[in-house]
Amino acid sequence: MFGGVILDNLGIFAQGYLATVILAVAAMALALAIGTVAASIRVWGPPFASGVAGFYVEFFRNTPLLVQLFFYATLFAPRNLGITSDPVVVAIIGIGIYTGAFVTEAIRSGILSVDPRQVEAARSLGLSQVQTLRLVVLPQAIRTVIPPLGNLSIALVKNTSIASAISAREILFVGLLVQSRTFSLEPFVAILAAYWSLTIPLSIAVSRLERRLAFSR
Amino acid sequence: MTAAARAVGRGAMRLGAYLGLAILVAIIIGLVALGVLPAARWAPFADVRVWRFLGEGLLATVQMGVAALVASLILSLPLALARIGAPAPVRAVVIGWIELVRATPVLALVLGIVLFMPRTGLDIQPIWAATLALTIYTSAVLAEIVRAGILSIPRGEVEAARSLGLPYAATMRLVVLPQALARMTPAIVSQLITLVKDTSLASIAAVPELLGFARSSFTFYGNPVETLFVVACIFFVICYTLSRISRRLELHRPADVMPPVLGEEGLQPVVRA
Repeated sequence: MFGGVILDNLGIFAQGYLATVILAVAAMALALAIGTVAASIRVWGPPFASGVAGFYVEFFRNTPLLVQLFFYATLFAPRNLGITSDPVVVAIIGIGIYTGAFVTEAIRSGILSVDPRQVEAARSLGLSQVQTLRLVVLPQAIRTVIPPLGNLSIALVKNTSIASAISAREILFVGLLVQSRTFSLEPFVAILAAYWSLTIPLSIAVSRLERRLAFSR
Repeated sequence: MTAAARAVGRGAMRLGAYLGLAILVAIIIGLVALGVLPAARWAPFADVRVWRFLGEGLLATVQMGVAALVASLILSLPLALARIGAPAPVRAVVIGWIELVRATPVLALVLGIVLFMPRTGLDIQPIWAATLALTIYTSAVLAEIVRAGILSIPRGEVEAARSLGLPYAATMRLVVLPQALARMTPAIVSQLITLVKDTSLASIAAVPELLGFARSSFTFYGNPVETLFVVACIFFVICYTLSRISRRLELHRPADVMPPVLGEEGLQPVVRA
C-alpha cells in the first residue's frame, strides 16, 4: 500500500521536518540580524567600513553554500578550531552568514530607493535625523524591502536541504536514510511534500503581500 | 555632495573592499600561525598536479553549467509563452509545473533524478542526470524571468504591430523579444551565477565536478579546510566576474526607461545614489 513506508517511519520524518523548520527560522533570524547591521554600515557607515561590508556581501554571495558549509563543518570540528561538531549549529551559522549577504543587499537597496530629496526636505522642515529615519525613510524602505526578503526566506527554506550534506538530520537527510533502507519511492514523495508545505504557502503569502504593497503606494 | 567628495568616497570604499580582502587573508594567516591550519597542509598547492586535478573538475563544472544554461534558455521561452497565452488547460499545467519546480530545493531535484534515473532503465551518466536536474530547475526560473520581460513591454506596441499586419510570431520576434531580452539579460546572468553555484550540489550525488574532485584531493592530502578555501576562491572568481558583467549590462541601460526584471535570490536593481 502506498504510504506504508511513511507511516512506519512517521516519528523520524516528524523529527526531520521539525529540524528543517528550526534550521530555517534560526538561520533567517541570524541573516536578518547580520543583514540589518551590514546594510546600515553599507549606507551610513564611513566609506572604509562600507567597503568592508561590500566585500562580505560579494564574497559570500558568490561562493556556493555547500562549499561554505563543508568549510565551516571542518574548520569548527574538534580536530581544528574545536568550536562545535553539531551539524545543525554549523548549518544555522553557515546558512545565516550566506543569506545575510543577500539580505544586506535587499535592505540596502530598500533604503536607497527613498529619494534623497525627501530626506533633505524632512531635515529642512526641522525633523531630527532620527525622526527623518523613523518617519520618512523607514516606512517607505520597509515597503520595498519586504517582497525581496520574502523571496529570500523561500530560497532559505530550500537551502536548508544543503545542511543534509554535513549530516544535519533534517527532512532530506532523514528521507534519504529511510529511502536507502527501504528502496522505496515513498520517502522521496514525503521529502517533496514537506518542502512544498513550507515553500508554497510562503510564496503565496509573498505575492499577496507584494500586490498589497504595490496598491498602497 | 560634490562630485569630488563622491569620488573620494568611492576611492575610500574601494580601499575598504581591499581591506575586507586583507582581513580575510589576515584571518587565514593568523590561523596558519596559530597552527590551526599548519603550513604543511597548504604544501600540496605548490604541486602543479593538484591544480591540474582541480582543473579537471572545473572543466566538468563548466560543462554542466554551459549545457544546463543553453538547454534552460531554449526551454524557458515556450514555457513563458505558454504561461502567458496558451489555452486554459495547457496554461494551468504549465503554471503548476513551474511553481512546483520552483518550490523544490535544487538538491532534492538533483538527488532524486540521479538516484532514480537508473530505475527507469535509461543508461545516462550521473553528470548528465545532474545536468538534467539543473536544467529542469533553471528553465522554470528563467521562464518566470522571460515572462516578466515579455509582460514589461507596453501592450500598445504589440497592438500596433498586430494592426500593421504583423503575425503573432513576427511581432514576438521583431518587436517584443529584442526589447524584452535587453531587460532580462541582467536577471539571466544573475541566474547563471546561481546555476554555477548549484553545480556543486552534484558532488553529493557522486558526480565528479570541481567540489567532487576537491573532496578526493583533500581526502588524499588530509587538508579539507585549506582545499575548501581554495575551491571557494575559484567559485568566487567565476561568479564575481559574472556579477560584474551583469552590473555593467545594467549600467548601460537607462534605468528610468527600462525597469530591470528581477531574478531569483533577490537580484537588486543597481541604485545610483
